[in-house]
Amino acid sequence: MAQSKSKNVVMELRGISKNYSGVPALTDVSLKINAGEVHALLGENGAGKSTLMNVASGTVAPSKGDLVIHGERYDALTPALANKLGIAIVHQHPAVLKDLTVLENLQVALPRSVFKGRAANEVGAELLARVGLKISLKLRVEDLTIAQKHLLEIAKALATSPKILVLDEPTAALGQDSVELLFQLVAKEIANGTAVIYITHRLAEVRELADIVTVLRDGHLMATSPIDKITDAELLAQIIGRELDSTFPPKHKKAAGAKPNLVVAGLTGDGFTDVSIEAYPGQIIGIAGVVGNGQSQFLKALAGQAVFTGSIEINGETKTGRSLNGKAALMPADRQREGVMMRMSVRENSALASLKKFKLLGLLSRKKEVNAVHDTLTSLSIKAPSLEAPVSALSGGNQQKVVMARALLSNPVMILADEPTQGVDVGARSELYEILRQASADGIPVVVASSDAKELEGLCDTVYVLSRGQVVKTLHDGENREEAMIEAAVTSTTKVIRIEREQREQKLGNEGVLEKFRRFLRGDYAPPVMLTFVMIALALYIMPKSDTYLGDFNLNSILLLVSAVAFVAIGQTTVMMTGGIDLSTGPLIGFLVVIASFFINDDAPATAIIMGLVTMALVAALVGLVNSSLIRYVKFTAIAATLTTYIAIGGFAFILRPEPGGYISTAFADVLNAAVGPIPYVFMAAVVATVIMEYLLRKSRWGWQLRAVGSNEESARKVGVKTTRSIMGAYVISSLFVFLGSVLLAVQLGIGDASQGVSYTLTGVTAVVLGGTSLMGGRGTYVGTLMGSVLLIQVLNATVFLDLDQTWQYWFQSALILIAAVVYSLARSRRVKRKK
Amino acid sequence: MAQRSAETLSKGPRFQVSKGLMTVLVSTVVLFVLCAVIAPSSVSSGPLGSMIPFASILAIAGLGQMLVIQQAGIDLSVPSAISLAAVIVTKLPQGDNDKLLGAVLTALAVAVGVGLLNGSLIGFLKLNPIIATLGTNALLFGFIMFLTGGIPSSSSDLLLGIVGGTTFGVPNSAFIAAIILGIVVLALRKTVAGRRFESIGSSPAMASVSGLRVRIHHGMAYVWAQLLYATAGIMIAGIITVSNAFMGDAYLLPSVAVVVLGGTSLLGGRGLPTATVVAAVFLSQLDQFVLALGVNFAIRTLVQAAALAIGVAIYTVDWSRVRSAISRLLSTSSRGQNQASLPSA
Repeated sequence: MAQSKSKNVVMELRGISKNYSGVPALTDVSLKINAGEVHALLGENGAGKSTLMNVASGTVAPSKGDLVIHGERYDALTPALANKLGIAIVHQHPAVLKDLTVLENLQVALPRSVFKGRAANEVGAELLARVGLKISLKLRVEDLTIAQKHLLEIAKALATSPKILVLDEPTAALGQDSVELLFQLVAKEIANGTAVIYITHRLAEVRELADIVTVLRDGHLMATSPIDKITDAELLAQIIGRELDSTFPPKHKKAAGAKPNLVVAGLTGDGFTDVSIEAYPGQIIGIAGVVGNGQSQFLKALAGQAVFTGSIEINGETKTGRSLNGKAALMPADRQREGVMMRMSVRENSALASLKKFKLLGLLSRKKEVNAVHDTLTSLSIKAPSLEAPVSALSGGNQQKVVMARALLSNPVMILADEPTQGVDVGARSELYEILRQASADGIPVVVASSDAKELEGLCDTVYVLSRGQVVKTLHDGENREEAMIEAAVTSTTKVIRIEREQREQKLGNEGVLEKFRRFLRGDYAPPVMLTFVMIALALYIMPKSDTYLGDFNLNSILLLVSAVAFVAIGQTTVMMTGGIDLSTGPLIGFLVVIASFFINDDAPATAIIMGLVTMALVAALVGLVNSSLIRYVKFTAIAATLTTYIAIGGFAFILRPEPGGYISTAFADVLNAAVGPIPYVFMAAVVATVIMEYLLRKSRWGWQLRAVGSNEESARKVGVKTTRSIMGAYVISSLFVFLGSVLLAVQLGIGDASQGVSYTLTGVTAVVLGGTSLMGGRGTYVGTLMGSVLLIQVLNATVFLDLDQTWQYWFQSALILIAAVVYSLARSRRVKRKK
Repeated sequence: MAQRSAETLSKGPRFQVSKGLMTVLVSTVVLFVLCAVIAPSSVSSGPLGSMIPFASILAIAGLGQMLVIQQAGIDLSVPSAISLAAVIVTKLPQGDNDKLLGAVLTALAVAVGVGLLNGSLIGFLKLNPIIATLGTNALLFGFIMFLTGGIPSSSSDLLLGIVGGTTFGVPNSAFIAAIILGIVVLALRKTVAGRRFESIGSSPAMASVSGLRVRIHHGMAYVWAQLLYATAGIMIAGIITVSNAFMGDAYLLPSVAVVVLGGTSLLGGRGLPTATVVAAVFLSQLDQFVLALGVNFAIRTLVQAAALAIGVAIYTVDWSRVRSAISRLLSTSSRGQNQASLPSA
C-alpha cells in the first residue's frame, strides 16, 4: 500500500554506509532509482559516487544498510548476482582485453544466451551498430582509440538489455559526436523502461539528460531533487563548501616590478593543448580541474618526461625536455608506485636524487649522506622509526615528506606536485603546504595540481583550470575561490581535441593494400607464414645438394623427432598464453619415460601397458597441479615454481632408475613408428592436436578466457573469468601434452634413462618463441608452435646435409631465436611509433 | 620552515642484517652443526677443501645472476658463458704460462661484448630476457665448438697454482670470492651508479619519474653479470685441469637457486650479495652432507628442491595469515566436521 506512487522503483539503497579501515567513505546514504528515468549523481572527486555504485553493482559490500531490488531485499550483492538482477555497469576505465579482437571481447564477457542460435558475427555487428561503433569485429582491441574502447564497453553493457544501467563518467574520453550518440542511446533505453544512473562532473550533461539529480559530498547525501526544481547555483552550493580542517600558510605578496621566474607558452602534448602559464618568484601556481583532464600529463611534460611542443622558460632560460628531466622534481600522484621505493629505506629514498653531493674520494660518504638526509627530514618534521626503516612502514603523509625531501635535497629548478596531499592526514597536510610555500619563497617555481579546489584556493596564488586538456579559466589572487574553480570545471563545454574521427575513418575506410599488409604483420598469423617461407627456402637450398634429403627415410626421421618436440611445445604454448612459463617440461618428459620403462616392456601384457600409460598421465596431471598450486596459492613466480619441480622431478627420476634400464617394447615402438609413406601417424596426430587446440583457442570460451587472463588478469576478472581455474588448467594441459610427447620419446630412446629429456624444456620454449607466441601472454598461435618445432628440427637436420659441424648447429639455433624475436618485436612495435 | 622539532629522528643502525641474510646464515650454521654431529667426515679438512673452491665459483656466478635478477631479468646464458671463459684461458695459452694474462684479458673482453649484446637486446630492443639469453647461450656454445672442435684443453700450471692453491691453509678461490663479494657490495652500496642501479631494480616506475636512465642500467646488468660468469669460468679452469664445453651446464640452475635462497626476489628489487654468497656455501655444503650420509644423487637433488621451495616460501607466504588460519582451523575443527556432514543429509 505504501508503494502507491505512479513511479516504479526498481532499486532502493537504504541507509548505506561504508568504512575503509575506520575511515568513512559513505555515511547513511539512501537513494531510490525509478524505472524509465535518468538519475544523475553529482559530486567532487572522493565524494563517494563510485563507492556507492560499487555497492549497487556488487563489487563492494556495504558496512551498514541494505538494498531492495525489484522488491527483494539484499544485504549485499555479488557481481554475478547483480548481473542476474539485470544491473550493468560501464566502468570509468573500460575492462576490455587488448590482445583479443573486438568480437572476442564481446564473446568472453557476455553470457552465451546473447549469441544463442545466431552467427556470432551477426550479433557482434548488431551490438556495435547500436553504439555507432563502425569498426571491424576482427580488429584487435589494442588498436582501438580510447573513445572506441569506451563505446565497446557501453556496447557490452547494453547487450544484456539491463534493467538498471550505471554509467560512470562515460563521456570523459568521448568526442562530441559519440557523446550525442550516447545521449540518444540513453534516451532509447529510458523509453524501454530501463533505469539509468549517470555519474558525471558536468552540469551541462545533467541538464540535458537527467530527470532527477542527487548530490554527494564527503560521503553524505546532500539532496535529491527533480532537475527542473533546482538551479545551477543551488547545485553548485551543494557540491562545494566542504569543511577543511587544515590551515594554510599566508599567501605571497607580489613585489612590484618583479619578473616572472617561470613562463610556459603554448605547451601542447599528449592530453593537453596550448597551455600557457606564468609565475612570479614566491608564487605557487595551481592547476585545477576534474581528475583526468590533462593535469598529470601537463606536469609530466614540465618535468621533461613527456614529449611537448611550445616553450618552457625558467629564470629567463629556455629549457628543453632533456634538460628538465631529472632537474625538475616531480612529485607524482601515484605515490606508491612512482613516488617511493616501498622496500628501500627512508635514507635511500631521500638521497636518491642528490647522491652526487655525498661523494668523498669517488665513493659515497655515509656520514655526509646521513647528515644531509637527517637535517632535511628533521626540518620537515618527519615521523619515522629511523632513517633505516623501510618507507612502507611510514604513513602516507610521511611518505610524501620523503618524496619532498628527495626533491629539496636535489636542488631542483622547479617543483611539480601532483595531488600532493592525497591520502595524507590533516596535520601533515598543513606541514606540506608550509614546505611548498617555503620552497617557493626560496625562488623555486612551484606548480601544484589538485582535484581538491579548496586546497588550491588556500594554497595557490594563481590557479589555471584545465578541462579536457585546455585552460578554461585563469584565476588570479583573490579570484581563486573554490566556487569559481568548480564552476569553471563543471560548466565547461570544451570538446575533446583529438584526431579520433580521422583515425577512425582511416580504419574503417577502404584500407589500402599496404595498410592491410601492415595489419597482417602485426597479427598472430604473420610468424607461421614467415616460418613457412624460411622452411621452403631452406629445403630448396639443400635439395640440389643431396638426393636423400627429401627421401622417405630422412623425412620420416625428421617428422618423428618433430612430433615429440611439438607435443611439448603445444603444452608450453598453453601456459605462455596465460603469461606464465613451465620450465619443468624437460625433466617431466624424461621422468615419464622412466615410468614407461617399468610398464611398457617386451613381455608385458596389454593391461600393464595401459596401466603404465594411465600412471604416466596421472603423474603428469599431478605435476601440473603442483606447479600451478605453487603459483596461485603459495604465490611463487612461474619461474621459481617450475624450477623447483624441475629439480625435484629430476631427483625422482634417479630414484626410480639410478642406472639406465627397462627396455621399451619393440611391438609398442612399431605401432608408434607406423607411417603412411614417409609420414608417421604420430606426426598426423600432432597436426590434428594443433588444429584442435587452435580452434579451441579462437572459437571456444576456454580459449577466450585463457587469452583474457594472459592479456590482463584484472580486467579478465572484471568480465567474469575465473582466473585461477584458467591458469591452473593451463599448467595441467601443458603437463598432459608432455605426457603425449613422452610416449614418443620413450620409443625414440628405447630405454628408461633418468638423465634424458632435460633439454626438451629449452627446445620447447624455442619452438614456441619461433612460432611467435608472446611470453607476455595473451597472444600467439598453436599453428606457429608446430611450424617452429618443424623448422627447429629441419635446421638441425640441415647441418648434416650441408656437411657442417656442431658449431653451426648452435649458430643456426641462436640465429633463429634472436632473428625471430627481433623481427616479431619490431613488427609489433611499429604501431606504437606511428601513434605518436 | 616548520621548526617544530618533534622527537628527534633516529639515524638508525649503521649496519643492518637483512631478513634474507639472517635466514640463510642461520640455516648454514644449523647445517654445519648437523654435519658435525651426524656426519663428522663432511666437515673434515678434505671435504671442506674440495667444497670451498666450488662454493666460491657458484658464489661468483650467483652474484652475476643476482645483478640480473634484481633488475627483474633472468640470464640463461650462464652455462656457455662460464664454459667459454674456461675454454679461452686454457685453449689460447696451450699451457704456456706467459700467455695466461693475455688469455684472461681476452676472456674478460669477450664477456663485455656478450654482455653488451644481451644488454642491448633486452634493454633497448625490449626482448624478453629468457628469449634473448637463450639465443646468446646457443651463440656462445657455437663459439666454444668453433674454438675447440669439441676437444677438451688443459690448464696452465700458473693458473692451477693461483686459483687452485692455498694460502694460510685456505683455498685461494675463497679469497677471490671474498674480494669479488667486497667489490660488488662496495659498488652497489657506495657508488652513485650502484645506488641508482638498486633503485631502478626496486621501482623502475619511480626511477623513471626521477629522471634516471632505466634502460641503460637494465642493459648494463647483463654486462656486469657476464664479467662475473667469466671470472667463475676462469676459476674453474684453475681448479679442474681439463676444460670442456659443458662444464658450465651445472651452474645454471644453482646460480638462480642461490639468488632466490638469498632472498632476492625474482620480480626484481634489492639485491642481497652477501646472502647470495652464503647461500652458495649452504647449497655446496648441503651436497657434501648428503654425500657423507651415503645417500645417492637422487636424494641430493630432492633435498635441493626442498631447500629451494622452502627458501622461496619464506618470502612469498604471508605467515601471519597462515598462523591465524591454522589457529582458526584448530578452534573450529569440531564445528567444521559437523558442517561437513550437513550437505549429505
